[in-house]
Amino acid sequence: MRNGKPVILVVEDSALIRMGAVDLVLHAGYEALEACDADAAIRILEVRNDIDLVFTDVQMPGTMDGIKLSHYIRDRWPPVKLIVASGATILEESLLPSGGQFFSKPYDYHTITDAMARLLLSESPRSPTA
Amino acid sequence: MSTTPTVHFEAASTLAVVVSSHEPLLFLSDDLKIIAASASFCRAFDIDPTSVPGKKLGELGHGEWAMPKLESLLKATASRSADIQAYEIDLKRPNGGTRQLVVNAQTLDDGDVEHIRLLVAVTDVTDARAEARLKDDLARDKAILLQEVQHRVANSLQIIASVLMQSARRVQSEEARGHLHNAHHRVMSIAALQRQLSTSPGGSVELRTYLKQLCQSLGASMIADPSRLSIHVSADDSAVEADVSVSLGLIVTELVINALKHAFPDERTGTVMIDYRSSGRDWTLAVADNGIGMAVGRDAPKAGLGTGIVEALVKNLDGEITLSDAGPGTIVTIDHQESAGLRADLSPSVYAR
Repeated sequence: MRNGKPVILVVEDSALIRMGAVDLVLHAGYEALEACDADAAIRILEVRNDIDLVFTDVQMPGTMDGIKLSHYIRDRWPPVKLIVASGATILEESLLPSGGQFFSKPYDYHTITDAMARLLLSESPRSPTA
Repeated sequence: MSTTPTVHFEAASTLAVVVSSHEPLLFLSDDLKIIAASASFCRAFDIDPTSVPGKKLGELGHGEWAMPKLESLLKATASRSADIQAYEIDLKRPNGGTRQLVVNAQTLDDGDVEHIRLLVAVTDVTDARAEARLKDDLARDKAILLQEVQHRVANSLQIIASVLMQSARRVQSEEARGHLHNAHHRVMSIAALQRQLSTSPGGSVELRTYLKQLCQSLGASMIADPSRLSIHVSADDSAVEADVSVSLGLIVTELVINALKHAFPDERTGTVMIDYRSSGRDWTLAVADNGIGMAVGRDAPKAGLGTGIVEALVKNLDGEITLSDAGPGTIVTIDHQESAGLRADLSPSVYAR
Protein backbone atom coordinates (compact mmCIF):
# COMPACT_ATOMS: atom_id res chain seq x y z
CA MET A 1 0.00 0.00 0.00
CA ARG A 2 1.13 3.52 -0.68
CA ASN A 3 -0.84 6.44 0.73
CA GLY A 4 -3.72 4.08 1.39
CA LYS A 5 -3.80 2.85 -2.19
CA PRO A 6 -2.99 -0.75 -3.12
CA VAL A 7 0.08 -1.00 -5.39
CA ILE A 8 -0.08 -3.29 -8.41
CA LEU A 9 2.88 -4.33 -10.55
CA VAL A 10 2.04 -5.05 -14.19
CA VAL A 11 4.46 -7.43 -15.97
CA GLU A 12 3.92 -7.61 -19.74
CA ASP A 13 6.33 -7.51 -22.68
CA SER A 14 3.91 -6.06 -25.23
CA ALA A 15 4.02 -2.28 -24.85
CA LEU A 16 0.41 -1.69 -25.93
CA ILE A 17 -1.05 -4.40 -23.73
CA ARG A 18 1.07 -3.15 -20.81
CA MET A 19 -0.22 0.36 -21.40
CA GLY A 20 -3.78 -0.94 -21.36
CA ALA A 21 -3.17 -2.95 -18.21
CA VAL A 22 -1.65 0.07 -16.44
CA ASP A 23 -4.68 2.10 -17.54
CA LEU A 24 -6.96 -0.60 -16.12
CA VAL A 25 -5.11 -0.54 -12.78
CA LEU A 26 -5.17 3.25 -12.50
CA HIS A 27 -8.81 3.38 -13.52
CA ALA A 28 -9.67 0.91 -10.76
CA GLY A 29 -8.11 3.33 -8.28
CA TYR A 30 -4.84 1.57 -7.59
CA GLU A 31 -1.27 2.64 -7.96
CA ALA A 32 0.51 1.04 -10.96
CA LEU A 33 4.10 -0.04 -11.51
CA GLU A 34 5.26 -1.66 -14.73
CA ALA A 35 7.91 -4.11 -15.89
CA CYS A 36 8.53 -5.58 -19.34
CA ASP A 37 9.79 -8.97 -18.15
CA ALA A 38 10.31 -11.15 -15.08
CA ASP A 39 13.83 -9.87 -14.39
CA ALA A 40 12.70 -6.26 -14.37
CA ALA A 41 9.77 -7.24 -12.14
CA ILE A 42 12.07 -8.89 -9.60
CA ARG A 43 14.35 -5.83 -9.56
CA ILE A 44 11.32 -3.69 -8.71
CA LEU A 45 10.07 -6.13 -6.06
CA GLU A 46 13.53 -6.07 -4.45
CA VAL A 47 13.49 -2.32 -3.91
CA ARG A 48 9.81 -1.80 -3.11
CA ASN A 49 8.14 -3.33 -0.12
CA ASP A 50 4.70 -1.88 -0.80
CA ILE A 51 3.57 -4.06 -3.71
CA ASP A 52 0.28 -5.83 -2.99
CA LEU A 53 -0.41 -7.64 -6.24
CA VAL A 54 1.45 -8.70 -9.40
CA PHE A 55 -0.50 -8.97 -12.65
CA THR A 56 1.69 -10.85 -15.11
CA ASP A 57 1.69 -12.21 -18.64
CA VAL A 58 2.98 -15.79 -19.18
CA GLN A 59 4.94 -15.80 -22.43
CA MET A 60 7.74 -13.28 -22.06
CA PRO A 61 11.36 -13.13 -23.15
CA GLY A 62 14.02 -13.39 -20.45
CA THR A 63 15.03 -15.98 -17.89
CA MET A 64 11.57 -16.67 -16.48
CA ASP A 65 8.07 -16.87 -17.87
CA GLY A 66 5.07 -15.66 -15.90
CA ILE A 67 4.46 -19.06 -14.28
CA LYS A 68 8.03 -19.29 -12.98
CA LEU A 69 7.87 -15.67 -11.90
CA SER A 70 4.68 -16.27 -9.92
CA HIS A 71 6.29 -19.18 -8.04
CA TYR A 72 9.41 -17.13 -7.40
CA ILE A 73 7.30 -14.31 -5.99
CA ARG A 74 5.27 -16.67 -3.83
CA ASP A 75 8.51 -18.08 -2.36
CA ARG A 76 10.26 -14.77 -1.76
CA TRP A 77 7.33 -12.46 -1.05
CA PRO A 78 4.52 -14.73 0.18
CA PRO A 79 1.92 -12.01 0.88
CA VAL A 80 1.95 -10.66 -2.70
CA LYS A 81 -1.23 -11.63 -4.58
CA LEU A 82 -0.94 -13.04 -8.10
CA ILE A 83 -2.97 -12.73 -11.29
CA VAL A 84 -1.68 -14.45 -14.42
CA ALA A 85 -2.93 -13.89 -17.98
CA SER A 86 -1.92 -16.00 -20.95
CA GLY A 87 -2.60 -16.39 -24.64
CA ALA A 88 -2.84 -20.12 -24.03
CA THR A 89 -6.45 -21.18 -23.70
CA ILE A 90 -5.96 -24.02 -21.30
CA LEU A 91 -3.65 -23.31 -18.47
CA GLU A 92 -4.15 -25.35 -15.39
CA GLU A 93 -4.57 -23.16 -12.36
CA SER A 94 -2.69 -25.94 -10.58
CA LEU A 95 0.45 -24.76 -12.36
CA LEU A 96 0.17 -21.54 -10.37
CA PRO A 97 1.03 -21.07 -6.71
CA SER A 98 -2.03 -21.56 -4.52
CA GLY A 99 -4.38 -18.59 -4.52
CA GLY A 100 -3.03 -17.35 -7.88
CA GLN A 101 -5.70 -16.62 -10.46
CA PHE A 102 -5.50 -17.38 -14.14
CA PHE A 103 -7.26 -15.61 -17.03
CA SER A 104 -6.90 -16.23 -20.74
CA LYS A 105 -6.24 -13.43 -23.18
CA PRO A 106 -7.90 -11.32 -24.34
CA TYR A 107 -9.14 -10.65 -20.84
CA ASP A 108 -12.11 -8.52 -20.01
CA TYR A 109 -11.25 -5.40 -17.99
CA HIS A 110 -14.09 -5.88 -15.53
CA THR A 111 -13.20 -9.49 -14.92
CA ILE A 112 -9.63 -8.50 -14.07
CA THR A 113 -10.56 -5.57 -11.84
CA ASP A 114 -13.11 -7.76 -10.02
CA ALA A 115 -10.43 -10.39 -9.43
CA MET A 116 -8.02 -7.69 -8.21
CA ALA A 117 -10.58 -6.31 -5.77
CA ARG A 118 -11.37 -9.78 -4.44
CA LEU A 119 -7.72 -10.75 -4.00
CA LEU A 120 -6.84 -7.45 -2.34
CA LEU A 121 -9.69 -7.85 0.14
CA SER A 122 -8.62 -11.33 1.13
CA GLU A 123 -6.01 -11.68 3.83
CA SER A 124 -2.97 -13.75 2.95
CA PRO A 125 -3.78 -16.87 4.96
CA ARG A 126 -7.39 -16.87 3.90
CA SER A 127 -8.42 -18.01 0.47
CA PRO A 128 -10.31 -15.45 -1.60
CA THR A 129 -14.04 -15.53 -1.10
CA ALA A 130 -16.07 -16.54 -4.13
CA MET B 1 0.04 -86.45 -52.59
CA SER B 2 3.37 -87.41 -54.19
CA THR B 3 4.91 -90.47 -52.59
CA THR B 4 8.17 -90.17 -54.45
CA PRO B 5 10.93 -89.67 -51.88
CA THR B 6 12.52 -86.35 -52.75
CA VAL B 7 15.37 -86.32 -50.32
CA HIS B 8 17.69 -83.91 -52.05
CA PHE B 9 15.49 -82.11 -54.50
CA GLU B 10 12.67 -79.72 -53.86
CA ALA B 11 9.70 -79.59 -56.14
CA ALA B 12 10.40 -77.13 -58.94
CA SER B 13 7.09 -75.44 -58.26
CA THR B 14 8.06 -74.74 -54.62
CA LEU B 15 11.34 -73.21 -55.72
CA ALA B 16 9.56 -71.15 -58.38
CA VAL B 17 7.10 -69.82 -55.82
CA VAL B 18 9.91 -68.86 -53.47
CA VAL B 19 12.01 -67.18 -56.17
CA SER B 20 9.12 -65.16 -57.52
CA SER B 21 7.83 -64.01 -54.10
CA HIS B 22 7.26 -60.31 -53.98
CA GLU B 23 8.16 -60.26 -50.31
CA PRO B 24 11.85 -60.96 -49.67
CA LEU B 25 11.86 -64.64 -48.80
CA LEU B 26 14.44 -67.29 -47.87
CA PHE B 27 13.86 -71.00 -48.10
CA LEU B 28 16.19 -72.84 -45.70
CA SER B 29 16.96 -76.37 -44.67
CA ASP B 30 16.94 -77.17 -40.95
CA ASP B 31 20.71 -76.68 -40.76
CA LEU B 32 20.15 -73.16 -42.13
CA LYS B 33 21.50 -73.87 -45.61
CA ILE B 34 19.82 -71.82 -48.27
CA ILE B 35 17.79 -73.83 -50.73
CA ALA B 36 16.42 -70.79 -52.51
CA ALA B 37 16.13 -67.04 -52.09
CA SER B 38 13.55 -64.85 -53.78
CA ALA B 39 14.73 -62.43 -56.42
CA SER B 40 13.23 -59.68 -54.27
CA PHE B 41 15.48 -60.73 -51.36
CA CYS B 42 18.60 -60.65 -53.53
CA ARG B 43 17.62 -57.25 -54.89
CA ALA B 44 16.78 -55.76 -51.49
CA PHE B 45 19.97 -56.94 -49.80
CA ASP B 46 22.41 -56.71 -52.70
CA ILE B 47 23.13 -60.37 -53.09
CA ASP B 48 24.17 -62.15 -56.29
CA PRO B 49 21.37 -64.72 -56.91
CA THR B 50 23.74 -67.24 -58.46
CA SER B 51 25.87 -67.29 -55.32
CA VAL B 52 23.01 -68.22 -53.04
CA PRO B 53 22.03 -71.92 -53.32
CA GLY B 54 23.85 -74.25 -50.93
CA LYS B 55 25.34 -71.48 -48.84
CA LYS B 56 24.75 -71.19 -45.14
CA LEU B 57 22.81 -68.17 -43.98
CA GLY B 58 25.91 -66.80 -42.26
CA GLU B 59 27.90 -66.99 -45.50
CA LEU B 60 25.49 -64.86 -47.53
CA GLY B 61 26.91 -61.73 -49.08
CA HIS B 62 29.86 -60.56 -47.00
CA GLY B 63 28.82 -62.48 -43.90
CA GLU B 64 26.49 -59.75 -42.61
CA TRP B 65 23.74 -62.33 -42.06
CA ALA B 66 25.83 -64.20 -39.50
CA MET B 67 23.76 -63.04 -36.55
CA PRO B 68 23.90 -65.53 -33.65
CA LYS B 69 20.58 -64.46 -32.23
CA LEU B 70 18.75 -64.88 -35.55
CA GLU B 71 20.43 -68.24 -36.09
CA SER B 72 19.39 -69.59 -32.73
CA LEU B 73 15.82 -68.39 -33.28
CA LEU B 74 15.71 -70.06 -36.69
CA LYS B 75 17.07 -73.28 -35.18
CA ALA B 76 14.36 -73.13 -32.54
CA THR B 77 11.81 -72.71 -35.30
CA ALA B 78 13.28 -75.67 -37.19
CA SER B 79 12.99 -77.82 -34.09
CA ARG B 80 9.37 -76.65 -33.92
CA SER B 81 9.70 -75.17 -30.48
CA ALA B 82 8.72 -71.68 -31.68
CA ASP B 83 7.66 -69.71 -34.70
CA ILE B 84 9.30 -66.36 -35.26
CA GLN B 85 6.73 -63.64 -35.47
CA ALA B 86 7.69 -60.07 -36.29
CA TYR B 87 11.13 -60.42 -34.77
CA GLU B 88 13.06 -57.18 -35.13
CA ILE B 89 16.76 -57.20 -35.80
CA ASP B 90 19.33 -54.76 -37.16
CA LEU B 91 21.29 -55.78 -40.23
CA LYS B 92 24.71 -54.17 -40.49
CA ARG B 93 25.31 -53.73 -44.19
CA PRO B 94 28.88 -54.21 -45.47
CA ASN B 95 28.82 -50.63 -46.76
CA GLY B 96 28.33 -49.40 -43.19
CA GLY B 97 24.59 -48.72 -43.18
CA THR B 98 22.22 -50.36 -40.72
CA ARG B 99 18.80 -51.60 -41.81
CA GLN B 100 15.93 -52.41 -39.49
CA LEU B 101 14.46 -55.78 -40.37
CA VAL B 102 11.29 -57.53 -39.35
CA VAL B 103 11.64 -61.32 -39.61
CA ASN B 104 8.87 -63.89 -39.73
CA ALA B 105 9.72 -67.56 -39.97
CA GLN B 106 7.88 -70.85 -39.94
CA THR B 107 8.44 -74.40 -41.06
CA LEU B 108 7.07 -75.42 -44.42
CA ASP B 109 3.96 -77.45 -43.79
CA ASP B 110 3.91 -79.82 -46.76
CA GLY B 111 3.45 -83.10 -44.93
CA ASP B 112 7.09 -84.13 -45.29
CA VAL B 113 8.16 -84.61 -41.67
CA GLU B 114 11.51 -86.09 -42.61
CA HIS B 115 12.81 -82.92 -44.12
CA ILE B 116 12.22 -79.80 -42.13
CA ARG B 117 12.50 -76.64 -44.17
CA LEU B 118 12.00 -73.05 -43.14
CA LEU B 119 10.29 -70.18 -44.86
CA VAL B 120 11.81 -66.93 -43.68
CA ALA B 121 10.26 -63.62 -44.70
CA VAL B 122 12.50 -60.60 -44.21
CA THR B 123 11.02 -57.13 -44.46
CA ASP B 124 13.20 -54.04 -44.46
CA VAL B 125 11.20 -51.48 -42.45
CA THR B 126 13.96 -48.85 -42.20
CA ASP B 127 12.33 -46.44 -44.65
CA ALA B 128 8.79 -47.00 -43.35
CA ARG B 129 9.97 -46.38 -39.79
CA ALA B 130 11.85 -43.24 -40.79
CA GLU B 131 8.75 -42.02 -42.57
CA ALA B 132 6.56 -42.71 -39.53
CA ARG B 133 9.06 -40.86 -37.34
CA LEU B 134 9.06 -37.93 -39.74
CA LYS B 135 5.27 -37.90 -39.65
CA ASP B 136 5.30 -37.84 -35.84
CA ASP B 137 7.83 -35.01 -35.90
CA LEU B 138 5.71 -33.09 -38.39
CA ALA B 139 2.58 -33.59 -36.31
CA ARG B 140 4.41 -32.35 -33.23
CA ASP B 141 5.83 -29.36 -35.09
CA LYS B 142 2.37 -28.57 -36.38
CA ALA B 143 0.89 -28.69 -32.88
CA ILE B 144 3.60 -26.37 -31.57
CA LEU B 145 3.14 -24.00 -34.47
CA LEU B 146 -0.62 -23.98 -33.97
CA GLN B 147 -0.17 -23.19 -30.31
CA GLU B 148 2.21 -20.40 -31.23
CA VAL B 149 -0.31 -18.98 -33.69
CA GLN B 150 -3.05 -19.14 -31.06
CA HIS B 151 -0.85 -17.21 -28.64
CA ARG B 152 -0.23 -14.59 -31.26
CA VAL B 153 -3.90 -14.30 -32.14
CA ALA B 154 -4.83 -13.98 -28.45
CA ASN B 155 -2.17 -11.32 -27.97
CA SER B 156 -3.24 -9.41 -31.06
CA LEU B 157 -6.86 -9.45 -29.91
CA GLN B 158 -5.69 -8.26 -26.50
CA ILE B 159 -3.86 -5.34 -28.10
CA ILE B 160 -6.98 -4.37 -30.05
CA ALA B 161 -9.20 -4.75 -26.98
CA SER B 162 -6.75 -2.71 -24.85
CA VAL B 163 -6.55 0.11 -27.36
CA LEU B 164 -10.36 0.23 -27.72
CA MET B 165 -10.85 0.33 -23.95
CA GLN B 166 -8.26 3.08 -23.54
CA SER B 167 -9.92 5.14 -26.27
CA ALA B 168 -13.32 4.58 -24.68
CA ARG B 169 -12.01 5.96 -21.41
CA ARG B 170 -10.50 9.02 -22.99
CA VAL B 171 -13.22 10.24 -25.34
CA GLN B 172 -15.51 12.99 -24.08
CA SER B 173 -18.63 12.14 -26.08
CA GLU B 174 -20.97 9.61 -24.52
CA GLU B 175 -22.04 8.45 -27.98
CA ALA B 176 -18.47 7.84 -29.13
CA ARG B 177 -17.80 5.96 -25.91
CA GLY B 178 -20.80 3.73 -26.61
CA HIS B 179 -19.50 2.93 -30.08
CA LEU B 180 -16.03 2.12 -28.78
CA HIS B 181 -17.51 -0.16 -26.12
CA ASN B 182 -19.55 -1.93 -28.78
CA ALA B 183 -16.44 -2.39 -30.89
CA HIS B 184 -14.77 -3.84 -27.82
CA HIS B 185 -17.65 -6.29 -27.30
CA ARG B 186 -17.37 -7.41 -30.93
CA VAL B 187 -13.66 -8.08 -30.55
CA MET B 188 -14.28 -10.04 -27.35
CA SER B 189 -16.99 -12.01 -29.12
CA ILE B 190 -14.53 -13.10 -31.79
CA ALA B 191 -12.00 -13.86 -29.06
CA ALA B 192 -14.49 -16.18 -27.34
CA LEU B 193 -14.79 -18.10 -30.59
CA GLN B 194 -11.02 -18.24 -31.01
CA ARG B 195 -10.75 -19.70 -27.53
CA GLN B 196 -13.43 -22.26 -28.25
CA LEU B 197 -11.82 -23.21 -31.58
CA SER B 198 -8.42 -23.77 -30.04
CA THR B 199 -9.88 -26.38 -27.71
CA SER B 200 -11.98 -28.17 -30.33
CA PRO B 201 -9.67 -30.21 -32.54
CA GLY B 202 -11.99 -30.93 -35.48
CA GLY B 203 -12.49 -27.29 -36.47
CA SER B 204 -16.15 -27.52 -35.49
CA VAL B 205 -17.52 -25.56 -32.58
CA GLU B 206 -19.77 -26.89 -29.87
CA LEU B 207 -22.36 -24.12 -29.65
CA ARG B 208 -23.61 -24.42 -26.08
CA THR B 209 -20.17 -23.92 -24.51
CA TYR B 210 -19.30 -21.21 -26.98
CA LEU B 211 -22.51 -19.22 -26.51
CA LYS B 212 -22.26 -19.57 -22.74
CA GLN B 213 -18.69 -18.30 -22.77
CA LEU B 214 -19.64 -15.49 -25.11
CA CYS B 215 -22.55 -14.35 -22.96
CA GLN B 216 -20.51 -14.64 -19.80
CA SER B 217 -17.96 -12.28 -21.35
CA LEU B 218 -20.69 -9.90 -22.53
CA GLY B 219 -22.34 -9.95 -19.13
CA ALA B 220 -19.04 -9.36 -17.33
CA SER B 221 -18.42 -6.18 -19.27
CA MET B 222 -22.00 -4.89 -19.69
CA ILE B 223 -23.89 -5.85 -16.56
CA ALA B 224 -22.93 -3.77 -13.56
CA ASP B 225 -25.47 -5.36 -11.24
CA PRO B 226 -25.93 -9.10 -11.85
CA SER B 227 -28.87 -9.19 -9.45
CA ARG B 228 -30.74 -6.82 -11.78
CA LEU B 229 -29.90 -8.22 -15.22
CA SER B 230 -28.83 -11.66 -16.33
CA ILE B 231 -28.21 -13.61 -19.51
CA HIS B 232 -29.36 -17.18 -19.89
CA VAL B 233 -28.17 -19.54 -22.62
CA SER B 234 -29.80 -22.78 -23.66
CA ALA B 235 -28.80 -24.82 -26.68
CA ASP B 236 -28.96 -28.41 -27.83
CA ASP B 237 -25.83 -30.44 -28.56
CA SER B 238 -25.25 -28.84 -31.97
CA ALA B 239 -21.76 -28.31 -33.29
CA VAL B 240 -21.22 -26.11 -36.34
CA GLU B 241 -18.37 -25.15 -38.62
CA ALA B 242 -16.08 -22.37 -37.49
CA ASP B 243 -17.26 -19.77 -40.01
CA VAL B 244 -20.92 -20.42 -39.17
CA SER B 245 -20.18 -20.13 -35.47
CA VAL B 246 -18.45 -16.77 -35.92
CA SER B 247 -21.58 -15.45 -37.64
CA LEU B 248 -23.90 -16.87 -34.99
CA GLY B 249 -21.65 -15.46 -32.26
CA LEU B 250 -21.65 -11.98 -33.76
CA ILE B 251 -25.43 -12.05 -34.24
CA VAL B 252 -25.88 -13.03 -30.59
CA THR B 253 -23.41 -10.32 -29.56
CA GLU B 254 -25.34 -7.61 -31.40
CA LEU B 255 -28.75 -8.75 -30.20
CA VAL B 256 -27.59 -9.10 -26.58
CA ILE B 257 -25.89 -5.67 -26.61
CA ASN B 258 -29.08 -4.23 -28.05
CA ALA B 259 -31.34 -5.88 -25.47
CA LEU B 260 -29.14 -4.94 -22.52
CA LYS B 261 -28.94 -1.36 -23.74
CA HIS B 262 -32.54 -0.66 -24.65
CA ALA B 263 -34.89 -3.21 -23.11
CA PHE B 264 -34.29 -2.40 -19.46
CA PRO B 265 -34.35 1.36 -18.85
CA ASP B 266 -34.82 2.95 -15.42
CA GLU B 267 -33.20 0.17 -13.40
CA ARG B 268 -35.70 -2.40 -14.64
CA THR B 269 -34.80 -5.97 -13.78
CA GLY B 270 -34.87 -8.70 -16.37
CA THR B 271 -33.28 -11.51 -18.33
CA VAL B 272 -31.99 -11.97 -21.84
CA MET B 273 -32.49 -15.52 -23.08
CA ILE B 274 -30.60 -17.13 -25.94
CA ASP B 275 -31.78 -20.39 -27.38
CA TYR B 276 -30.44 -22.49 -30.26
CA ARG B 277 -32.05 -25.64 -31.67
CA SER B 278 -31.30 -27.60 -34.79
CA SER B 279 -32.92 -30.46 -36.59
CA GLY B 280 -31.01 -31.91 -39.49
CA ARG B 281 -29.76 -28.95 -41.45
CA ASP B 282 -32.46 -26.61 -40.17
CA TRP B 283 -31.84 -24.46 -37.16
CA THR B 284 -33.41 -21.70 -35.09
CA LEU B 285 -31.66 -19.10 -33.01
CA ALA B 286 -33.79 -17.00 -30.67
CA VAL B 287 -32.78 -14.05 -28.53
CA ALA B 288 -35.55 -12.98 -26.19
CA ASP B 289 -35.82 -10.41 -23.42
CA ASN B 290 -38.54 -9.62 -20.91
CA GLY B 291 -37.98 -5.88 -21.07
CA ILE B 292 -40.12 -2.97 -22.23
CA GLY B 293 -40.62 -4.31 -25.75
CA MET B 294 -39.55 -2.74 -28.99
CA ALA B 295 -41.01 0.42 -30.34
CA VAL B 296 -42.59 -0.23 -33.71
CA GLY B 297 -43.79 1.94 -36.55
CA ARG B 298 -43.39 5.66 -35.96
CA ASP B 299 -41.28 5.26 -32.80
CA ALA B 300 -38.97 2.56 -34.15
CA PRO B 301 -35.39 3.62 -33.57
CA LYS B 302 -33.21 4.27 -36.57
CA ALA B 303 -31.28 1.17 -37.58
CA GLY B 304 -27.68 1.34 -36.40
CA LEU B 305 -24.53 -0.55 -37.24
CA GLY B 306 -25.69 -3.45 -35.05
CA THR B 307 -28.83 -3.97 -37.15
CA GLY B 308 -26.74 -3.81 -40.30
CA ILE B 309 -24.34 -6.42 -38.98
CA VAL B 310 -27.16 -8.75 -37.96
CA GLU B 311 -28.97 -8.43 -41.30
CA ALA B 312 -25.83 -9.04 -43.32
CA LEU B 313 -24.85 -12.09 -41.29
CA VAL B 314 -28.35 -13.57 -41.33
CA LYS B 315 -28.53 -13.17 -45.08
CA ASN B 316 -25.17 -14.86 -45.38
CA LEU B 317 -26.46 -17.82 -43.35
CA ASP B 318 -29.59 -18.07 -45.54
CA GLY B 319 -31.70 -17.26 -42.55
CA GLU B 320 -34.85 -15.28 -41.94
CA ILE B 321 -35.34 -12.79 -39.12
CA THR B 322 -38.62 -12.48 -37.29
CA LEU B 323 -39.23 -9.84 -34.69
CA SER B 324 -42.13 -10.44 -32.37
CA ASP B 325 -43.69 -9.17 -29.20
CA ALA B 326 -43.09 -11.50 -26.27
CA GLY B 327 -45.43 -9.60 -23.93
CA PRO B 328 -43.45 -8.54 -21.98
CA GLY B 329 -40.40 -7.98 -24.09
CA THR B 330 -39.20 -8.88 -27.53
CA ILE B 331 -38.16 -12.06 -29.31
CA VAL B 332 -35.86 -12.00 -32.29
CA THR B 333 -35.91 -15.33 -34.09
CA ILE B 334 -33.52 -16.34 -36.84
CA ASP B 335 -34.65 -19.34 -38.81
CA HIS B 336 -32.76 -21.34 -41.33
CA GLN B 337 -34.77 -23.86 -43.32
CA GLU B 338 -32.69 -25.75 -45.85
CA SER B 339 -35.71 -26.17 -48.16
CA ALA B 340 -36.50 -22.45 -47.93
CA GLY B 341 -33.23 -21.44 -49.58
CA LEU B 342 -34.75 -21.62 -53.07
CA ARG B 343 -37.75 -19.43 -52.43
CA ALA B 344 -35.92 -16.92 -50.23
CA ASP B 345 -36.11 -14.27 -52.93
CA LEU B 346 -39.87 -14.61 -53.22
CA SER B 347 -40.71 -14.42 -49.54
CA PRO B 348 -41.80 -11.03 -48.31
CA SER B 349 -39.49 -9.10 -46.06
CA VAL B 350 -40.29 -9.64 -42.40
CA TYR B 351 -40.17 -5.92 -41.83
CA ALA B 352 -42.89 -5.33 -44.40
CA ARG B 353 -45.58 -7.06 -42.38
